[in-house]
Amino acid sequence: MKRILLACTLLVFGGSVTAESSINVTNAWVREAPPSARMLAAYMTIENSGDEERVLSAVTSPDFGHVMLHKSEVVDGVARMSHVGELAIPAQGRLELAPGSYHLMMPAPKERLTEGDQVTFELVFGDDRLSVQADVRKKP
Amino acid sequence: MKISISGTLNQALRRIIPLLCAAALLAACTPPPEPPQLSRGTLLPSPKPLLDFTLTDHTGAAFTRANLTDGWTFAFFGYTHCPDVCPTTLASLVQLRRQLEGTMPSGELPGTVFISVDPERDTPEQLAEFMPYFHPEFLGVTGDEEQILTVTRQLGILHAKAEDAGADDYLVDHSAAIILFDPDGAFHAVFGVPHDPVAMAGDFLALKHYYEAIQ
Repeated sequence: MKRILLACTLLVFGGSVTAESSINVTNAWVREAPPSARMLAAYMTIENSGDEERVLSAVTSPDFGHVMLHKSEVVDGVARMSHVGELAIPAQGRLELAPGSYHLMMPAPKERLTEGDQVTFELVFGDDRLSVQADVRKKP
Repeated sequence: MKISISGTLNQALRRIIPLLCAAALLAACTPPPEPPQLSRGTLLPSPKPLLDFTLTDHTGAAFTRANLTDGWTFAFFGYTHCPDVCPTTLASLVQLRRQLEGTMPSGELPGTVFISVDPERDTPEQLAEFMPYFHPEFLGVTGDEEQILTVTRQLGILHAKAEDAGADDYLVDHSAAIILFDPDGAFHAVFGVPHDPVAMAGDFLALKHYYEAIQ
């Protein structure tokens, strides 16, 4: 019985121990969008308290078909969005996913998300996964 | 009879001429108002009137140059599939409107127009479900590619599908500037990023004041 319990514990928590020990995510939110919006954006602050750089290689979510790492930037007055392969969070540093900068982009689900709803993201750092809860917010 | 008329005219002129002289002297002494110093915007050296164009607004009505002569108008170019920059800018335009709401009668508030640079996906129906979410007074406008280019070319607004455009969820690069049209429908000023609603409200009031002073 003890063995089964241990196995279950490892199954549930095993994958994210390393990530959880050095990565901390705060202020995760999804922008509430108009009814006809096909794409949504999510933002968060990712802090790395470890002594090694951590690389966010992918994000998945049970609430969205797929999640893309994106960057918005204005170059010579032109706003551009581009896919980003991965995002590095420096040792003892942080990365802000914020409006007009790095963000997650995902297709809007069939059931419209409105302020107060919660969604889940799985942040993939190499072999580690970190589960993050994000609020849907209506704000600039 | 003739003499009597010209006599009356002479008398009238004698009374008016000193007044005219005084007015001219006063005008000469009062320097013309200086263009305002703007904190965020750039004022065009001389407002640029637009050539004719025809677009369609989100109610299905025609949107032409004449729609820009009802008052001042802010215009932003974007697309409804844009999840980051466009909603952020539209939220800034809502804040700008709130800043101005207390400063003038509601009938004088500037209009706000969102002009799509993605005619393939942004139909009037799509805009009708998108635009009122931000503000009931905001107008979404679209057209075919050529109709949109007729407007954007005159304003130096650029747009292009991104190189890594996928089949259905392609991205569109577009100028991030907000354009201000004066009540003559002329391109009057431009606001680059970052869009600060408080600073833009101050700039707008200064521009409006200057425009009214030189009419």
